[in-house]
Amino acid sequence: MTDAVTGTDFIALLREHGQWPQARLGDPSATLGLESTEATTILAVRYRDGVLVAGDRRATMGNTVVYDRADKVLMVDDRSVIAIAGSPANAYEIVRMLEMSFQHYRRSQLQELSLEGKLRTLSRLLRENLPMALQGIGAVIPIYATYDEADVTGKIFFYDMLGAQFESVDFCTTGSGSTMIRGALYYHNRWDVPLSQMDEGQSLELILKMLETAAEFDTATGGFRPIANVFPQVMRVNAAGISSIEESVLESLYETRLSQRRQG
Amino acid sequence: MLEDPYRWVEAIRNRREYVDDQLKTASPVVGCTYQDGLLLLTTTPGPRKLFEVYNQLAFAAIGHPADIEKLRKAVIDIAHLEAFNLSASDVSLHRLVHFGIGPLVKSAFDEIFRSPYLARVLVAELDPSQGQECFFTVDADGSFASHRDVVAMSGLAAAQPVIVDQLNAATGDLHKLTLEAALDRALNAWAHGHLPLADGDHPAPDDDTVRQFLSTALSTARIEAAVLDRTMPTKSKFRLLSAAEIEPLRLRYAGR
Repeated sequence: MTDAVTGTDFIALLREHGQWPQARLGDPSATLGLESTEATTILAVRYRDGVLVAGDRRATMGNTVVYDRADKVLMVDDRSVIAIAGSPANAYEIVRMLEMSFQHYRRSQLQELSLEGKLRTLSRLLRENLPMALQGIGAVIPIYATYDEADVTGKIFFYDMLGAQFESVDFCTTGSGSTMIRGALYYHNRWDVPLSQMDEGQSLELILKMLETAAEFDTATGGFRPIANVFPQVMRVNAAGISSIEESVLESLYETRLSQRRQG
Repeated sequence: MLEDPYRWVEAIRNRREYVDDQLKTASPVVGCTYQDGLLLLTTTPGPRKLFEVYNQLAFAAIGHPADIEKLRKAVIDIAHLEAFNLSASDVSLHRLVHFGIGPLVKSAFDEIFRSPYLARVLVAELDPSQGQECFFTVDADGSFASHRDVVAMSGLAAAQPVIVDQLNAATGDLHKLTLEAALDRALNAWAHGHLPLADGDHPAPDDDTVRQFLSTALSTARIEAAVLDRTMPTKSKFRLLSAAEIEPLRLRYAGR
């Protein structure tokens, strides 16, 4: 069955209606001097019941903080989320496209798109974005996390700029702050408590510590800022679906656990 | 043929007759509100007739399965293009019918060298907050009408007012009905609308006749029902009722 026969493809539908302008590789000098907004550290960690996906809230342009409450973890459907690092403009559009694409498929074909089909769609969209990425202003590096009911487990997938898809077993982190914490996560997983055996509380605490660590060494990553009441964004993906971890929970964790050193 | 106006009118009349003739035995689709949203009910020998278009929009059709699929696909495409280019809250039934499916069906009907859509369409929209549910029916010639609270779509035009009267006649506020009560009311109204076909053409059958008719009808066709339920936690409010949910209703009338 090809798209031409069933008309299942939402990307093709947009093209047909002239509503999916394909980015073209233009004159590279056109982008000189243009600094684009960037979203930074995101990470996804498998825990006992599924996956926790988190991101700091900072969006930067060069050394300017553009926004301190950016949402980098976005719900795609009732089963999956995408966390984005890179250009928010393109990332939001890709996520929106993906969301509509899955909905369109489910409603027109009367069945859910398979996990493989969903991953492939994201891959295609990243390839579409390649000309922008090559110009250095629109690269998107996403993490896709979902709960696989067939395998009764949470799964994490990550992509490179060209759209190659990889599955990561226990954790994944991308964005400018990721290099600061990748080793620490590996160490923890290998020689300390395995991440996938942690309960939600333990996993959440580890994630917040990691984001604070990234913020310490990477200026583009925003940490917890009590003065402005800015908290990282954390979403849980498990058998019950997708939900956000409330800011009040994060706040009390920061107050009681992460700042213990002050009292000691 | 086209240079002669009389023959064009005649051709249109002929295809109207043809469409009516093709659709006349179709099982009606009944729609009504209930406490959590709105309900659509029909019977089918097999193929599905009730579908989701968008979060708060449902689609039902009678007619040729291939034409139903074409129209369903067209409506879904329009809704998702709108949602992508603007936002989910800009997808409205009013615009979908007035600027989308209405003109689409009308132009196919008017082009006398093309086959018309052999289908009538019923679309429903849930109001997530205020309980202002609305329905549109689109005829095979592209003419459309809006309805509130109750609606019927049938192959035989005369059956529609019979069903609507029946839905309105029963006691109890439609907006306060439980799903179970609404299902019962809808099935009875469906039977009143479909019955004249099976049993001559007398307008007001008694309860026994209706029961008898339902018992026979349900032995060959299955009940299909779907709701747009505003209490659902997901963005999509459409839900096709499961066989288990419909079984008590079927047992009440099929008797086995």
